[in-house]
Amino acid sequence: MSVTFDNALLESEERRTLRASVAALGRRFGREYFTTAVREGRQTDELWQEAAKLGYLGVNLPEEYGGGGAGLSELAIVLEELGATGCPLLLLVVSPAICGTVIARFGTEEQKRRWLPGLADGTRRMAFGITEPDAGSNSHRITTTARRDGDTWVLTGRKVFVSGVDIADATLIVGRTEDARTGRLKPCLFVVERETPGFEFRHIPMELTAPEKQFQLFLDDVRLPADALVGDEDAGLLQLFAGLNPERVMTAAFSLGMGRYALQVAVEYARVRQVWKAPIGAHQAIAHPLAQARIDLELAGLMTRKAAFLYDAGDDMAAGEAANMAKYAAAEAGARAVDQAVHTLGGNGLTTEYGLASLLTASRVGRIAPVSREMILNFVCHHTLGLPRSY
Amino acid sequence: MSLRIVVCVKYVPDATGDRHFAEDLTTDRDAVDGLLSELDEYAVEQALQIADAADDAEITVLTVGPEDAKDALRKALSMGADKGVHVEDDDLHGTDVVGTSLVLAKAVEHVGYDLVLCGMASTDGTMGVLPAILAERLGVPQVTLLSEVAVADGTVTGRRDGDAASEQLQAQLPAVVSVTDQSGEARYPSFKGIMAAKKKPVESLDLSDLGIDADEVGLGGAWTKVEDAAKRPERTAGTIVKDEGEGGKQLAEFLVSQKFI
Repeated sequence: MSVTFDNALLESEERRTLRASVAALGRRFGREYFTTAVREGRQTDELWQEAAKLGYLGVNLPEEYGGGGAGLSELAIVLEELGATGCPLLLLVVSPAICGTVIARFGTEEQKRRWLPGLADGTRRMAFGITEPDAGSNSHRITTTARRDGDTWVLTGRKVFVSGVDIADATLIVGRTEDARTGRLKPCLFVVERETPGFEFRHIPMELTAPEKQFQLFLDDVRLPADALVGDEDAGLLQLFAGLNPERVMTAAFSLGMGRYALQVAVEYARVRQVWKAPIGAHQAIAHPLAQARIDLELAGLMTRKAAFLYDAGDDMAAGEAANMAKYAAAEAGARAVDQAVHTLGGNGLTTEYGLASLLTASRVGRIAPVSREMILNFVCHHTLGLPRSY
Repeated sequence: MSLRIVVCVKYVPDATGDRHFAEDLTTDRDAVDGLLSELDEYAVEQALQIADAADDAEITVLTVGPEDAKDALRKALSMGADKGVHVEDDDLHGTDVVGTSLVLAKAVEHVGYDLVLCGMASTDGTMGVLPAILAERLGVPQVTLLSEVAVADGTVTGRRDGDAASEQLQAQLPAVVSVTDQSGEARYPSFKGIMAAKKKPVESLDLSDLGIDADEVGLGGAWTKVEDAAKRPERTAGTIVKDEGEGGKQLAEFLVSQKFI
């Protein structure tokens, strides 16, 4: 009998079928489709729509709002498997994972009805803006501020490195409001529709082979209706972390997929490339690092599934630590796998034809975003090990 | 009255794996992961399309095979079929196409059917004759190798593309139909389909349920016997012609030496 219970170690039959089905869809499109879209400045919309039609984009969202009724575990599977075929959908990290989750957990009934069905079936997309030019990874220094003006909110600030703003119907903006009681600033989440007056976005050219572009945002007295505020004004921090943990898990899934894709290209190459008697994959100097890459990816995958499992089980605290560790481990494993894959192919690893070289920059993203690996190490130092803080 | 469609599917070793024979010269199913035969996915897809077009239809997927063959049924159920039937019996080990067709015929009759759909062949045995034998056993028309198929008013129609001509075929139901890999790409299981598949009923049957004697099937009952099997020789390295001004000539000489031209 095959094992059919859901846990982080052994995936259920449904999850394995989901993996296989998403992988089959990804293979039909393949890396060539992805790189062609990037070269032509197009989005990978055909893949997005096909995945949407099959219900893969909204697997984590509640069934009553058109989602699959499953969890982050399933959504991470979708992203990882698409990535492993060379065509990841980056907006899965933000649209259903962060924005969908936050609205589903904390949004008003009206907000849920308004956004979730579209996010679930892929007809609408939502970007996520948190990073600021002067705050970097320090989310306590966020200066984008919302003030009340009668029945409306007025939002002002700057954001940087926000993915896919041009193709998103709205962006979920992390801002701060003044606590009426203490006067301290506390985080708040606002849905800002793309065409709102005062909301401007500027493309940041990046050396990443990705169809989704990066943007800088300028919010100058952006006037928002009262219901642009998601959920509870007083529970902003909790809500924010409810969205950031899925982001880390999905970033891990993104790194894992990319690492697996690169490793597979390298292994196929090492199997047939022959310059002396045996294929180069028979030489341990080539083979062992590939085996190590595989082990690292497998371990990081296990941690990612643990983080998703804890999150789906409702343990936000434990999920936070696990999601940070998973993001760290997967980013390192992914970057090392890409590095080793490029090296395995030698000169061919740097050609456009083999398409691995552009992954060298892309695989660094996981080390830097959504928080740098050093900030994760800091988190583990303070939170897990109980070491004193330096900042 | 509901249109009863039975799709016969086979659980086969993954063709991308390293496939071997067991000691008794049957397929070694333990060495390689199995899956729903890709060619049978086309039959499932056509069944789903026919069911969509019909007012009322029920699709049963039927397989004969070991315990793991349930995976093939689950895949078909996750694509959208309604229920599964799994014929499993230790005495079935080594059954050839004649025996398999007997088991399928009995099982199809057990389920009840208006239309039996099959793929054009299995991707492991690749006999391709099973639909014809099955139709013969059931005593119903066979409409095989269709690349287009439709059902209306108790009649199945379709197009069979040959090398020299395309034929339009028609038969009264009940009938056995096989479809080719040109009939239309099979859908991927949707997430809802995947989640629903587990809740769909799968009936398990053995030979006694179908009134079949063990000696009619299995290695002993097979009409054919595999005498010997040898591993395909390793591919040898090809000849690489380096074009240093004489490339075309060398290519031509190679083709002549191999009697290609």
